[in-house]
Amino acid sequence: MTLTLIDAPAGLAPVVRDDFSAPFFEASAEGRLLLRWSPSSDAWSEPAARFCSVTQAADLEWRESTGAGRLVTWTVKPGRAKDDQPAVATVIGIVELDEGPWLSLLLPQADAADLAVDAAVRVAWSQPEGSEVLPVGLLV
Amino acid sequence: MTTRAAIAGLGITEMGKVYGRSATDFAVDAISRAAADAGLSLADIDGLYVNPGIKNDTDLRLQSTLGMRNTRVLATIQGFGSSAGQMVQMAAMAIEAGMAEVVACVYADAPLTEGKRAGAAYPGQARAMKGVGSLPFAAGLKAAPERYAVATRRHMHAYGTTSEQLGAVAVAARQWAQLNPAAQMREPMTLEDHQSSRMIADPLRLLDCCLVSNGAVAVIVTSAERAATLAQPPVHVWGWGQGHPGYVNRRDSEFGLVTGAAQSGPEALKMAGVGVDEIDVRELYDCFTFTTLVTLEDYGFCAKGEGGEFVASGAIAPGGSHPTNTGGGELSSFYMWGMTPLSEAVIQARGQGGERQVPQHDLVMVSGNGGVLDFHSTLILSPHQKGK
Repeated sequence: MTLTLIDAPAGLAPVVRDDFSAPFFEASAEGRLLLRWSPSSDAWSEPAARFCSVTQAADLEWRESTGAGRLVTWTVKPGRAKDDQPAVATVIGIVELDEGPWLSLLLPQADAADLAVDAAVRVAWSQPEGSEVLPVGLLV
Repeated sequence: MTTRAAIAGLGITEMGKVYGRSATDFAVDAISRAAADAGLSLADIDGLYVNPGIKNDTDLRLQSTLGMRNTRVLATIQGFGSSAGQMVQMAAMAIEAGMAEVVACVYADAPLTEGKRAGAAYPGQARAMKGVGSLPFAAGLKAAPERYAVATRRHMHAYGTTSEQLGAVAVAARQWAQLNPAAQMREPMTLEDHQSSRMIADPLRLLDCCLVSNGAVAVIVTSAERAATLAQPPVHVWGWGQGHPGYVNRRDSEFGLVTGAAQSGPEALKMAGVGVDEIDVRELYDCFTFTTLVTLEDYGFCAKGEGGEFVASGAIAPGGSHPTNTGGGELSSFYMWGMTPLSEAVIQARGQGGERQVPQHDLVMVSGNGGVLDFHSTLILSPHQKGK
């Protein structure tokens, strides 16, 4: 399967992997979003979690998310004009995935007029230069 | 636990766009001023807590810079914006335990560089973009304004809080600052000025954001008995609390809705043995207008979700029913993390506020807030010794 990448938006900074995050970025390179899941609590946690966000259990495993969620909150940074380049606004949202965890995502194609709490979002992928493939959000 | 500790000295350096001085230099200056204010010499100080700011360029080695010998308690304290309250708490406990007699607590920072804009002083967390923990930073939630912006919007959606209500916090702070000769920003400000100020991170505008200052503030904590013999009216520590909610990034998180103040405030009031309705003056950490609003709610000065209406009523402004941030706060006076509200609390409790002095100042509540509403400390201060 060929992963379709969104052109890296200006506001998205590169991230490199460490040992802990290697499975996450192996999956992101294939367009799959991994979260952390606790078999003892059946609860999901964010990708960076070391312990279950509900029970503090230490039995987290990587598990694939649907990548679908809803917008919890967001901000729009107006950006600054540089030389002949006009200011480019950046939209950053906190998205609650259907499984429960929150992800902070750049929403590169979002029109500010379409932003609303509970707006449907799906995870897409982009790869800044020198970076792993990173999740971004698209309003559905 | 009861406490018999009191704040006996206050030192505030020149503040704001003061260039060419290091954080350590400011810290030495502030401690020297605080000791002199108390009528003490540096040799009287046998305890030191140092809180470095965002530049993180001073620490417990300040001891040797000050020439201190045989120091009995000494540490670098880092609770971000909650540090000032934490330092006073630890100093009071050290004094209660007989570990030290006179403890200096200092915050110092020098993030401003001449010729560079204030925003450049806080470019965001200097954190390597490595691993999944970096994803929020990579997405653009780097610096405080955008991180507080998402918290603020959540509150707005949940409770109908408006930008104009946030503006009421900024206008009230400026009205107080106009009465404070030491405040950095004293020009009149209207709600229209707030609404027309440029957007920094929607919904937060420039005038929702605190100042950036170079400088230092120190307080001297000692026993109530010792304080009674010194140069200034003692400011007694009646109660304290901390609350660090440890937000999880998942469904049901209270991020943006409830802060550590909801735990810290009631604990401090309980220790002091007073109710929130008995508080005369509020000195609240106001890195952003929203921080004031949500802290007022979480301390119980108004109901949850009614902070917007409360501040818009004029309650916190000069002449209002709930005088708050009477020096102008971090929004209009100066930004020294938790030392901004603490220093004004000491001034108010002493009755030394001049034109801005609140006539009734028997109980002053002080907040400290760090991270993005992540870390919270509270103090209850009074010019009267508890139980006397």
